[in-house]
Amino acid sequence: MTVVNALRAAETLPALRALSLGCRRDLRLALRSRAELALVLVFFLLVMTLFPLGVGPEPALLARIAPGIAWVAALLASLLSLPRLFAGDHADGSLEQLVLAPASLPALIAGKVLAHWLTSGLPLVLLAPLAALQFGLAPEPAAALVAGLALGTPTLSWLGAVCAALTLGTRSGGALLALLVLPLAVPVLIFGAGAAEAVSGGLGAGAHLSLLGAGLIGSCVLGPFATALAVRIAHE
Amino acid sequence: MTHPGPSATGLAATGLACSLGNRTLFQGLDLAAAPGQWLALTGENGAGKSTLLRILAGLLRPVAGTLTWQGAPVRAGDPAWHAQLLYQGHASGWKELLSAEENLAQQAELDLAALDAAERRRRVDAALTRAGIARQRRLPFARLSAGQRRRVALARLALGPRPLWLLDEPNTALDADGQTLFAALLDEHLAAGGCAVVASHLPVPARHAGIGLRLDGGNGNGHGSGSGNVQSGGAGSGRGGVPGDGSDAALGPSGTTAR
Repeated sequence: MTVVNALRAAETLPALRALSLGCRRDLRLALRSRAELALVLVFFLLVMTLFPLGVGPEPALLARIAPGIAWVAALLASLLSLPRLFAGDHADGSLEQLVLAPASLPALIAGKVLAHWLTSGLPLVLLAPLAALQFGLAPEPAAALVAGLALGTPTLSWLGAVCAALTLGTRSGGALLALLVLPLAVPVLIFGAGAAEAVSGGLGAGAHLSLLGAGLIGSCVLGPFATALAVRIAHE
Repeated sequence: MTHPGPSATGLAATGLACSLGNRTLFQGLDLAAAPGQWLALTGENGAGKSTLLRILAGLLRPVAGTLTWQGAPVRAGDPAWHAQLLYQGHASGWKELLSAEENLAQQAELDLAALDAAERRRRVDAALTRAGIARQRRLPFARLSAGQRRRVALARLALGPRPLWLLDEPNTALDADGQTLFAALLDEHLAAGGCAVVASHLPVPARHAGIGLRLDGGNGNGHGSGSGNVQSGGAGSGRGGVPGDGSDAALGPSGTTAR
């Protein structure tokens, strides 16, 4: 085939296909290293188990602090899986190939972050009812906790993605990543834990969940571009 | 100036400069590769060969200089530009957890976006066979030898046409047969009207003689005006000094500083 034909055949990937490609790619890689996936879940459950041992088995107290603990545990667990998002691809050069791919980089990255959430955020959402049961949380606040996690963990993934991309190529990137992400995650933590507490207190969780939803929309809109920019900077 | 300056076709760069820290790797670097030509980039370790390739790919912004492809200035990060080039850097970009076949199929989804899935699979099969790693296709990448890994990279070259190849030491760790295969792939690419820039310490036994471009970079003594010499010359049709001021309207103003 001549170059003239190649010029015609060379086609850029539409954004949706780029997103699905980025997602399938990372899901396949994640499934190859299942031990790492399990690590996050076991960590989450372990932290949830440690608290009753630490503060004592008083049902009223445990039910009161359960949402907060679930959120802190989810935050730490998602932190654990964040370096996996870009560091490996950066080290073996495949991130470079993604940056040079004939597709929109924000779309590819959105796919990667979606895969990251599916493998680290979604399992936490699914495990949360179990944790709520463990703490003797009533069904209504437990439902608010799960809804809050479902809305909040994607936001955490996006915050983490931006910070993970920013810390690419730095020494001790993991610790720096934690220092960057944790302060940014404070609003998510407050409204997430607040949703379940509001329900326990007889108020609706609507306001908290709306704010979490707004945060999710904002991060889904801005996150891909901010992360793509950070990834490009990391390659300069 | 026998040649009409930086041609409106192919790759051309004028006045490229790059520094790392306070050390100038090269400055005032001009190069041009018309369709069917390839640049053999040489230079000692640390002379800036890989950096130059990264600049040409648009991964790195040069301190100064302009880069044009088919007469139009290159916009770094533009997917349409990425569809034109095949860059293979130091780090191969293959995942250790996947097999050679899965790696190549994944890359093919990006490289051959225009084709349907069946045609892509056929191309991947053909490329693996061509590169001589069809038997190891299902082995995890981590278990392949250095030479076999290089052959997966050759398979990517055989996948399908990308007009511009930017290759960083594509033939290290290859056996004699692999060297010949690389040369054959390069010859086919050039015969089809492609361009290539190849950084290598080894001679490439290709029928098309490469235009020599030697980076004689800053050698540690820093940032003086004398550093960053570029010696060019050699086999190709008179490439000359290619300053090309004014002779080519498509070229951006030479020496403009890219931020």
